[in-house]
Order: sequence, then C-alpha cells, then structure tokens
Amino acid sequence: MPLALLPAALILGLLLLAPMAGLLVQSFRHFTPGHVGSDVGAPLTLANYRELLNPAIVGLFVETFRISAIATLIGLVVSYPLARCIVRRFSAASRVACIGFLVALILLSMLVRTYAIELAFGSVGMLRPLLRAFGASPNSGWYIQCLVGAGLLHYLIPLSTLMLLGTVQSVDPRLADAAQSLGAPAWRAHLSTTLPLSRPGLIGTFMVGFTFSISAFVIPMVLGNGRILFISNTIYDRFSDIADYPSGAAISVVMLVVSLTAVGILSWLAGRPAVPE
Amino acid sequence: MTLKLTRRRTLAGTGTLILPALIGASLLPREAAAITELVAAEWGGDIVEAMKQIAARQSAVGFNWVLFQGGAGSILPKIKAAWPRVEYDYVAGWEGSFYGMMAEDWVETVSIADVPNLADIPEKIIVKDKKGNWKAVPRAAGGIYFGYRTDTAPIKITSIDDLLSPKLKRAICWPGPTQSMMLQIVALALHGGGSETNMEPGWKLMKELAKSGNIGRIAVTDVDFTNSFTSGETSVGFFAEPSWAAVAKNFPITRLTKQPGMKTFLYQSGFAVMKNRPNTKLTLEFINFAISPSMNTLYSQIAGEAPLNVKASAPSNLAHLSFAPAQMTEFVYVPDYRVVLASQDAWTKRWETDIAPLLQ
Repeated sequence: MPLALLPAALILGLLLLAPMAGLLVQSFRHFTPGHVGSDVGAPLTLANYRELLNPAIVGLFVETFRISAIATLIGLVVSYPLARCIVRRFSAASRVACIGFLVALILLSMLVRTYAIELAFGSVGMLRPLLRAFGASPNSGWYIQCLVGAGLLHYLIPLSTLMLLGTVQSVDPRLADAAQSLGAPAWRAHLSTTLPLSRPGLIGTFMVGFTFSISAFVIPMVLGNGRILFISNTIYDRFSDIADYPSGAAISVVMLVVSLTAVGILSWLAGRPAVPE
Repeated sequence: MTLKLTRRRTLAGTGTLILPALIGASLLPREAAAITELVAAEWGGDIVEAMKQIAARQSAVGFNWVLFQGGAGSILPKIKAAWPRVEYDYVAGWEGSFYGMMAEDWVETVSIADVPNLADIPEKIIVKDKKGNWKAVPRAAGGIYFGYRTDTAPIKITSIDDLLSPKLKRAICWPGPTQSMMLQIVALALHGGGSETNMEPGWKLMKELAKSGNIGRIAVTDVDFTNSFTSGETSVGFFAEPSWAAVAKNFPITRLTKQPGMKTFLYQSGFAVMKNRPNTKLTLEFINFAISPSMNTLYSQIAGEAPLNVKASAPSNLAHLSFAPAQMTEFVYVPDYRVVLASQDAWTKRWETDIAPLLQ
C-alpha cells in the first residue's frame, strides 16, 4: 500500500470499520429487558436475527425498498429530460442559473422542505379542504404513501438532475443527428443512441438516489403520520427509545447487507457494455 | 460547454469566506465564567419554560438546558454511550425512566440532609431502590388519560367502546409505541379485564381499533399530538396532561379523568441526580430550591402538573386531576412501573408485528 494512502486508511478504519465491527458484535448480544443496551459480557445469541424473519418485519423491508425504488425511478424519469434540456437547449446564462437553483435546492434543510410539504399537502396542511372537496382523504393510506414519495422526490430530482448533467454532456449529440439523417424519427434516434450511451450514468444516479431513499429518516417520520415508517425509523426506535441495541444493530446489519447487495448488482449492470458486442 | 464553477474556485471562495470569520470569532472578547453552569436534561414546551423561570429566581448556578428528543427515555442511550463521562448534572424524568437509570446504577442516592424540602413531600411516593434508598426527587404529579376536542369530535365519548364507532373514522390520534410507555395498551387491557401483567385483552382491543380505520395519526412525538389536535386533523386521544394543556389553551377539551371505565394513569415527574459529576452539591441545592413551596407552586402553574410539596398550592385548572379517596379507587390506576419498563421491548416489537401492518 502506498504510504500516501495511510492517513485515509487510518481514518477509514477508525471512523467506519471499527464502529461497524462494534455494531456487528452488538447484534449477536443477548438483551435484558429494562436495561440500556446489552450488558457487559452478555452471551451471544442469534435471537436478534431470528426475530427479523417475522413477516411484518420482512414487510417493513419490502415497503421501504418498494417506495424508495418507485420514487427513485420517477426521479430519473423527470430528471433525465430536465438535464438534457439544461445541457442542450439552454443558453449559458440560463444554464448557470438552473444549476445554481438546483444546488440551492440540494442545500435546503431536509426538515424545512419536509415540513413545507406537510404544511401544504399534509393531513394538517392548507390544501386539506381542497383535497376533501375532491373526495381525497388526506389521511388515507395511499395518500400518505404518495406524500412520502413526494418528500423523497423533493430531494431526488435536483440531485439526479445535477448528476445527469455530466452524463448527458458526455454523449455526442452528433450520433442522434446521424441517426435522424438516416431516416430515424427523433424519438427512435434518442432511444437507440442517447439513452443506451447514458446507461452507466443513469444506473449510477439510480444507485445514489436509491441509497438516499432507503436511508431516509425525517421524511417518513414527518410525512408518514406514524403509519408509513421506513427501516431507519425502526432502527432509531430500537436504539433510542427502547434502548434495545442488539436488536437495532441486527436490523442495521441486515439493512447494510441488503443495500450493499443491491448496489453490487447495479454496479455490475452499469459495468456491462451498453450494446451487446 | 465550459462551466465557470470549478472545485478549485469553490474551495478558494469558501476559504475566503470562512477564514476571516474564524479569525474574527477568535478575537471577540469572552466573558469570564462567573458562576457554575449545570447541564440539565428536560422535556420541552411548558416544562422547560417552568424550570427556566425557577432558575431565573436564583443566582447560585447557571444552566445549559438539553431537551429530550422524544420521551424522557430517549436520553438513556445517550447516557449509556457516554457513561461514566456523562455531562448531565440532573436528568428530569418519571418512574419509567427512573427505573431504567437505577437498573444501570447511574443515579445518586438523595436524602433529607441533601434536600431538606424533601421533608414536605410524602415519602411513599419517592422512588426507591431495592435497598430502600431514595433515588429521585419528585417535583409534580401528572396524569395520562383519554380526552377529546369538544368542538370537533363527531360524537361524545363516554367509554372505550366508543373508540370503535364508525363515526370516528380517522378521528383518533393514538400514541406511538414509544410514547407514554405503552400505557395506552394497558388502558385497553384494563377495559378488557387485564392489566400490565396480562396484556392480551389490550392487544385484542388494539387490533380491533387498528382495523377499524379510526386512527388518523400515530403520534411519535408530543408535538405530533398537539399539531394534529389544533389543526383539527383528529379529535380523540390518550395523552399526558402537558399535551392536553397545550391544546386547551386555544380549544375546548373534554378530559375523561373521572369517566367510569376509563382509567387515568398517574405518574410523578422529578429529578434524578447523576453520579460522577463534579457539581453534585450545587445540583442538590438547586433541586431543593426548585421543590420549595413557592417554586413548586410556580412550576405547577406553568407546567400544568400538580405540585407534590404539601405546602405548595395547586392551580384551579388542575381540578380534574384532584381525586378524593373514593375516586382514586374508581378512576385512577397506578401501574407497576417496573413491570411496564421491563415489558417495553416486548410490547414495542409486538406493536411492530401485530399492529403496525393493520394501520396502513
């Protein structure tokens, strides 16, 4: 290992790997109800992992991944044309203004943006009478799910658009022009040239957005009415409110493994050639 | 396209802005610390406001207030992570969190010699360890009970069975599994003939309630409850006195503290003095001041909890929490908080597996 990498390796080991190792050990400890965390020298057990096989807990994982995947996909569908428009259609001044606006949206506090949505569209929001007039109950399950999805999109769209700017810019526009000059309609020219060449960027953006979504904490807590909760909220409850560290650690470890597997599969997909050789 | 924004320029710009600010801050004159500053962990809202007003009436110590992020139990993991280098001089709490701290041996033993005003607080309510040592200083009593917003509730609530009425669609704000130590389920269990040691009737009724679609919001914080009630989103709930008092400032509330079949759960709030702190004597002196008759009266007026110092006077707006001996038997229930605390883990997990899926 080059000497120059030593500081980075030390920091990584100290701040990431060591706490993760502690978390892993904690996940196998026995928990005594009424205590805070596991006792010193508590016996090892698999019970913390066994209880995660309960269908309700599995359902919680599925729900977190489902809502996150849908929101991330919608974010990509909205962001890609937006990024293309900014890169290909806008003047230099408009481009800078748009990028500045997107960066400002990214920097906006998560709490502020989430409560803004709650106050406008939530079940205690200003638009509540309007929603009721249209027969939509702001307290219904599907509406709350949409609201949580909207909360995720509020962050995902600017993030994805910024990430896709480079992707769109790196695709040579003359390829689509060439396809069109050979008789392909515009939509087909883009589907057969621009989109396949953007695939690594799209997958990379999906990975970042998906990782953000599945680890969201504030958004489901504020917008979910306590009825739609993500795995992060359950982990927080276990650690903070009932002080069952071993159980919280077991959920965290499973969440990490599932997330890394998903990211691994996506990375593998991104590394494959866009057009079969 | 060539973007003007480069990493080098961003870093240079950031440095240009931050460096003068840091230099300027270091040159600002600093006031010498004149008095000892205690770190106190408290609830937010009216309770910390009451304590701030009490602190303002003495000059022996200053305060750095730390607020719970959720219930009083939310501070326990933070203490565990830092122990024994804990930074809190006292931690406010109630029976539930006190027993948790005692199990970890974090709190100092207190006595009348340390806190002379304890002589005016009934001894039987003081939290003790297995050896009979006093481990917390009580300051007030509060209640957790059912109630509803009189102007928006679709029906008049007279029994727990009314909670299942189809007229209450999405009208109930129900405490989340980490609120009120799950006494809400104990309340349902009592209605079904059970108790904190026999919770099956409570879980059965809770499932019916979740399936009924009458729960509009699960409050995961006190603020969730007050926001939901004040906005009119929901109208019926089971919460602690300070939360009801916050809503009652602006809206008519019917408190079901003396309704046959609907128990009121009494708890005491108070101070736990942490071990391993350098300011124990000053902390105990402040606590003694805080539970003196006049300060206990002041606390009660602002925080909305009944004073426990027998020489203090209770405000008239707490009459609903004043019970004659016969009423105590009929309307009040004081659970075994050691059982309640030991069951939190199992009850929360049961909520996640049996109740949460029914709420969506």
